[in-house]
Amino acid sequence: MSSPTGPLLAVRDLVQEFEVRGRGGSRGGVVRAVSGVSFDVRPGETLGIVGETGSGKSTLARAIVQAPRPRSGSVVFRGADLARLRGRRLLEARRQLQMVFQDPYASLDPTWRVEEIVSEPLVAHRVGDGASRRSRVAELLDLVRLDPRRYSGRRPRELSGGECQRVAIARALALSPALIICDEAVSSFDVLIQAQVLNLFERLRVELGLSYLFIAHDLAIVKQVSDRVAVMYLGRLCEVGPPDAMYRRPLHPYTLALLASIPEPDPNRERRLHRTIAGEPPSPIDPPSGCRFRTRCPRAEGRCAEEVPPLRVVAGDRQVACHFPLEQEASP
Amino acid sequence: MANVPTDERLPLGLEALAGAPAPARTGRWAGHLDVGVPAAAIVLLFAACFVWPTLLPLAKPVGGNIFEANLGPLSPGHLLGTDTVGNDVLSRLLYGGRTSLETALAVNLIGLFLGGTIGALAAYLGGAVDAVAMRGLDVLIAFPALVLALAIADSLGPGQGHTILALSFFAVPVFARNARAATLRLRELTFMTAARLCGTRTWRMLLRHIAPNILPQLLTFGLLSMGAIMVIEGALSFLGLGIALPDPSWGNMIFQGQQSISATPLLVLFPSAFLFVAVLAFNLLGDALRARWNVR
Amino acid sequence: MERQVTREPGLLLEVDDLHVRLRRGDREIRAVRGLTYRVSVGRTLAIVGESGSGKTVSCRAVMGLLPPTAVVTGSARLEGKELLGLPDAEMREHLGADLAMVFQDPVRSLNPTMRIGAQITEAIQEHLPLSRGEAGRRAVELLERVRIPLAGRRFHEYPHQLSGGMRQRVMIAIALACHPRLLIADEATTALDVTTQAQIMELLLELQRELGMALVFISHDLSLAASYADEVMVMYAGRAVERAPTRTLFAQVRMPYTRALLEAIPRLDRPAHSLLPVVPGQPPDPSAQHVGCSFAERCPNVRPACRETAPPLEQHEPDHFWACWNPCQVGWAG
Repeated sequence: MSSPTGPLLAVRDLVQEFEVRGRGGSRGGVVRAVSGVSFDVRPGETLGIVGETGSGKSTLARAIVQAPRPRSGSVVFRGADLARLRGRRLLEARRQLQMVFQDPYASLDPTWRVEEIVSEPLVAHRVGDGASRRSRVAELLDLVRLDPRRYSGRRPRELSGGECQRVAIARALALSPALIICDEAVSSFDVLIQAQVLNLFERLRVELGLSYLFIAHDLAIVKQVSDRVAVMYLGRLCEVGPPDAMYRRPLHPYTLALLASIPEPDPNRERRLHRTIAGEPPSPIDPPSGCRFRTRCPRAEGRCAEEVPPLRVVAGDRQVACHFPLEQEASP
Repeated sequence: MANVPTDERLPLGLEALAGAPAPARTGRWAGHLDVGVPAAAIVLLFAACFVWPTLLPLAKPVGGNIFEANLGPLSPGHLLGTDTVGNDVLSRLLYGGRTSLETALAVNLIGLFLGGTIGALAAYLGGAVDAVAMRGLDVLIAFPALVLALAIADSLGPGQGHTILALSFFAVPVFARNARAATLRLRELTFMTAARLCGTRTWRMLLRHIAPNILPQLLTFGLLSMGAIMVIEGALSFLGLGIALPDPSWGNMIFQGQQSISATPLLVLFPSAFLFVAVLAFNLLGDALRARWNVR
Repeated sequence: MERQVTREPGLLLEVDDLHVRLRRGDREIRAVRGLTYRVSVGRTLAIVGESGSGKTVSCRAVMGLLPPTAVVTGSARLEGKELLGLPDAEMREHLGADLAMVFQDPVRSLNPTMRIGAQITEAIQEHLPLSRGEAGRRAVELLERVRIPLAGRRFHEYPHQLSGGMRQRVMIAIALACHPRLLIADEATTALDVTTQAQIMELLLELQRELGMALVFISHDLSLAASYADEVMVMYAGRAVERAPTRTLFAQVRMPYTRALLEAIPRLDRPAHSLLPVVPGQPPDPSAQHVGCSFAERCPNVRPACRETAPPLEQHEPDHFWACWNPCQVGWAG
């Protein structure tokens, strides 16, 4: 098992790709969804991963839990490399790693009742008997602020979206996980419900000592919940670091562009027009050579097309993958 | 996908509104006529064919008196008359209905459970299992249903058991196809991934997650194919291969009757009418349920 | 090619006491309950609300895009001409030429079997007596105007060959094909990434200035309204609950619901792991009858009077309308 000071989750050089069938004769291709991603999640920490559509962040989440398995790379969770395990051993090793998904209705079986849904992990791992499972389910529903007497017998279609997500969270907590991956877990909610669910995550973090891998496209949400943030673009990490520093003084041009595009609820703020980036994200089927952001980067030069910039440590806890990062002292 | 808020309680998406069937009148049961009427008709048919003969005094369907042949309807003792050898038409209609309905039901149940299981397993397990199962079934599906049933019935000979077997060769692959498609769609849904992450084993996934979710689809498909099976059985019997005379089925009654159709058209009309009503009722019920469960 | 764009400043759209009732199975939903607002030429109005607030339904009612089972009462006048209850043929004359709408989901709004160019050309020829060739040329110009690179080539492509942001630009091009006076953007950027969203919003504003259009955009995102709108109207449970010019609204938020929305938005300047101030509960069931203020059961400022009578939307301060018996007194320190 991992040492107490080692990372809870250590992902190294993770690669995930999919083949795309050509459309009736036209050429197929390979979607390079995740191309060599490495990071750590420390015990008790929340790591946020931010990226837009096509960044590969959801694919990354699935690859970590081996559903489906990544092409290559290692995923060491509590000392065991999930990518090398099979069958029963994988189930055991993965027990303390759980996931909450984006669409609350889609993540629950519509023909099951809440009680059955929340106890599924207990049944699968043969924990306890009927009576003890029932009381554990009641405990879990209480944790997510759903009254067990009112909710146990209901089906997902009788619940609101926010309630469904709470059920999903209760299910994720059943086996007392160490790390929960939240894959856009609040993105499908309106502002007020979103705030409720975010607060729930925060409360559980404090009460149960959870770690999170929080994936989202919204920088502000990620900052709200994370100790460190990683920015992802087209399958690779651009920048990693504590959100305060990163947002005030971004090192990667993409981070800067993201920050500039966010509307703020303040009408007196000047719109930072000159910093919105041009163009569309390229397709992950045929990503640009070298640095994948170079086609939209105002600072790109020849070197960017030839060499893939590695993610390297600069200034303490910050990492950046850029040949010409935004701060002088950070450049090689 | 970036921020896509879902309505907490009702999807007020206009697509959903446009698709909802407007009830003819407001009122609780008027909105259920689409299911109620055909369901009632089916219940009546079953009651008539299975219950009535045991309760009411009815002439026997076989072994009629030749001297009472070709009586018209409303003759004493024979409500709908007799056929060319003196059997009571009403009795033959009801017992024949029993046979036809039983056969179709049996075939459908075999198709649903055997075919459904094969299809779901093939889709869920994928790989070699899927390839082998599907190629095998493809061969069977490639034959037109009637031809296949004919060929098998011919080699087996007439009789209800053989008929059921022959028709099952047609039904199982079709249900399997259906179940496979449904399972493939289901397999990629988020709650399936979530269940696997919980640690749920394969057999439990199939039994508790896949089966309940594909059942409505298979059920409505089953209802819709009741009609088809009954017609094919009728055709087989009509051709002399299905249910052997003198045991009645709607199909062989039509076969018998067509021999003297100009003289006694009612002998063809009655069984045809019953067959028509039965097929129509099953189709309407199947359609209505499909519309309801899909909209949900 | 430019139509003379001389517009006298004035009212373009007047909506009065709009009510919309929808049928779902055997339930009746009161989606919009008495909506009144004005849109002036050249101005941008943001209609903000959560799902089920009635914002989309109200705009579709104005455009005549609701299913025939919907019951719409009230008035919606475009430069004096009543739009509600117009027969389809007449409404079609206005759609595109005077009023246009851009929807959230370009995947479903564009015909997947028709090339982009053909769809724009068709929209143009619907209202303008141009030949196919002339309409085609104009379509390419429109594509260029919405900043689609290589417009000439895109003209011949199918929707599935374009990205989400591009498709939305095409939708805008189609909507603008005949220089409408009013453009309604219904959550047009919700499904887009934030970088693309910024581009599209900038584009919309630029086009608005060039063409002198009025722009109404519907969103759940108050931040978007803050950045891009002249005036903001907040809707809850089918009613407008607050309306004011943007700066005024954000400087002095009165309606507790609006305030709750503002406080619940995660902000870049908040410390990590802080809890968001949040109101409990959920929006009310739109098919249920409701007495009193719809927000009463969740409102931090609730008083007994709130549960008895629903407060009317009234102008309490210059240019600032709100519907509340007990509004927030202290300004919101954004």
